[in-house]
Amino acid sequence: MTSQGSSEPRASPYFWYRLMGRDEEGYDVYELFIGPQHPASGHMRIIVRLDGDIIVDAEPDIGYVHRTMEKLAEGREYIKNIPLFERATIIDAANITWGYVRAVEQLLGLEAPPRAEYLRTLLAEINRIASHLYGFGIAGIMLNHSTMFMWAFGDREVWVQLAEDLTGARLTHSYIIPGGVRRNLPQDFREKALKAIRYMEKRLQDYERIFVKNPVIIARYVDVGVIKADEAKRLGIVGPNLRAAGVRYDARIAEKYGAYPELEFEIPVREEGDAMARLLVRIEEIRQSMSIIKQILDKIPDGPIFHEKYYRMLPPKLKEFVESTGRLKLPGAFIRLKPEPGEAVARVEMGHGEVFYHIVSDGSIKPYRVRVITPAFRNVVLYRYLTRGARFMDLPAIYGSIDYFPPEGDR
Amino acid sequence: MTTGTIGRIVDFVLSPHIFAPLIYPGLLAATLVLLTLIWAERKMTAKVQLRYGPLYVLKPLGGAIQLIADAIKFMFQEPIMPRNADKWVFALAPVAMMAFTIIPFAFIPAAPGFVGVDVEYSLPLVLSLSALIPPLILATSWAANNKFTLLGGVREAFMMVAYEVSLFIAAFAVASYYGTLSLSKIVEAQSVPGIILNPIAAGVFFVTMLMTASKLPYDIVEGEQEIVAGPFTEYSGILYMLVMGASYMELYVLSLVFVELFLGGWKPVIPALASIHPAFEGISLFIKAYLVLLFAVFLRSVYARYRLDQALEIGWKKLFPLALLSVIWSLALLLVAGGA
Repeated sequence: MTSQGSSEPRASPYFWYRLMGRDEEGYDVYELFIGPQHPASGHMRIIVRLDGDIIVDAEPDIGYVHRTMEKLAEGREYIKNIPLFERATIIDAANITWGYVRAVEQLLGLEAPPRAEYLRTLLAEINRIASHLYGFGIAGIMLNHSTMFMWAFGDREVWVQLAEDLTGARLTHSYIIPGGVRRNLPQDFREKALKAIRYMEKRLQDYERIFVKNPVIIARYVDVGVIKADEAKRLGIVGPNLRAAGVRYDARIAEKYGAYPELEFEIPVREEGDAMARLLVRIEEIRQSMSIIKQILDKIPDGPIFHEKYYRMLPPKLKEFVESTGRLKLPGAFIRLKPEPGEAVARVEMGHGEVFYHIVSDGSIKPYRVRVITPAFRNVVLYRYLTRGARFMDLPAIYGSIDYFPPEGDR
Repeated sequence: MTTGTIGRIVDFVLSPHIFAPLIYPGLLAATLVLLTLIWAERKMTAKVQLRYGPLYVLKPLGGAIQLIADAIKFMFQEPIMPRNADKWVFALAPVAMMAFTIIPFAFIPAAPGFVGVDVEYSLPLVLSLSALIPPLILATSWAANNKFTLLGGVREAFMMVAYEVSLFIAAFAVASYYGTLSLSKIVEAQSVPGIILNPIAAGVFFVTMLMTASKLPYDIVEGEQEIVAGPFTEYSGILYMLVMGASYMELYVLSLVFVELFLGGWKPVIPALASIHPAFEGISLFIKAYLVLLFAVFLRSVYARYRLDQALEIGWKKLFPLALLSVIWSLALLLVAGGA
């Protein structure tokens, strides 16, 4: 015992509190570092301060998987940034690259042909379903519901396969490129997609029985992590988390990009703003995405999948190959895309929410600056606001319900 | 002379007070239960979750000896002891935990007239022996000197007071109907299974049993998503095997008690098996207990985890009044039927 220690009365009633730690303001708290080495933290750390079983404060400490993507983008040609950015959200690669491509197209003054826009929308919705299923599975395992975890991840495979049929790659599709898409629709895609939709509709009912209407899940999710509409707007929350708080905002409607203006779909909105509402919004979005896919398969126009300006650059032999196989070969000049000096911004609605790109071009073959604000980065603040005053065991429930994806937040 | 010595040893081993705790239904049978039950649990869960489960260790039998492979792995793994841990408590508590799950087998009757040590108060004795485990879990959580283990220990303390009371009352509700605290007499007196006579007590006993062994939806103490492995976070190697095995052993002990209280115990007796050893006459007890165990672990693929305060609410506000009600139910039955 130091002299400092012995000057205080030893039998102080706060002995146990002191033993458990106390924060700077003198608040008696138990500080817990959850992550980055923790079974349920993901690639991040949450610093939790507990008063008994009540969370006083939960601080998300992100950045463990920061890959300097914005800086890397400054050193690569425009087209090479697509495989880079899709690695931010590998589970939703089409949507996160679409935002970048839209901004680059604005700089280049390009517009993709209608068929390409439909194909982009098709892959975006397939990715949205896969992304929601991924979040669904994580939400399940966060409550130790391993069946939901396995089912959602297993059924996600259906959509990953579908994306592979369309693009040739399971996750890193690099499908959406400035001026169009990389591949045409395969012959048998329609049947496969309709089969997947039929299967998923059946599975969603199974999910409802085992998870959504499970009394334990209801006890864990209803009135947990509530955020109201004005608070959500103030914090700049995006995506299903925002819509579950009662704000009808979706970049697909706000921006009118892709084939969305020509398709009919609803934006599911709920008023409750709790974890259950976030879950139900995601389930409804899966249903809406499936309806969009059906409409696309019916409505998709014929025509080229790549902008004429660059298609013309292909040598005749390659053109023949593209015509016969539906697989685009990029012209050599494509690597040296050189937009005019200027700036462009683009928004796209991902599975997790709205992604925002701001590209500055100095007229060279590489972007001068690429700023990307991902939905996960905007939603991470929810950890702090939703957990305050909640029970400690609500932390994983809230984590699962906001569908945070650390690599996306860290970029 | 040697045959005489060996014969005496064999007789000694086959005598009830050694055979019951160490071979059947005790340690050896319990180990068998442990090895097969965890495998069956994983296989069942895998079936529900559309995957294979254990597969590669002895492929023709669907990975049936996976758990043996796991056990060998744990045996040879270095048991790491945290530098700041209270080393003696840390190392000995799991051993004591395992011991307290094995001792009850000496008092659980396995067949008519076959019990290791025949005491008049075997029911409260078995229950109180298994009630010694939560304090040991608290000891491990304190000894490991880790924030997660401490939280797990606090959870265990909360849960313990919530389930233990209802568990005892539900068991005594049955005992009060039969007018005896001896498990063998309760089984003998059961002409109608206890679950039909007193379904409330059976329900309460089963749910508290899940809480005791921290099985889903009450695996709060080991809540992986918040506190890694609760009180067992720092354990590795053979010590980890002991603490994990202890919860399954406890579940096995309690399901034996459950079968004896509510499912008619060893009835129907199979006399043919008595020629092997008198204990095997009551093999029905083992089979029924195994089915109860399978049902208990199957819940894992259906439920998620309750929150601590919700589980405490269930324990105090639902199970406790129900347990009291089951006592009244038993007394009312006594009044109506005029005794068993």
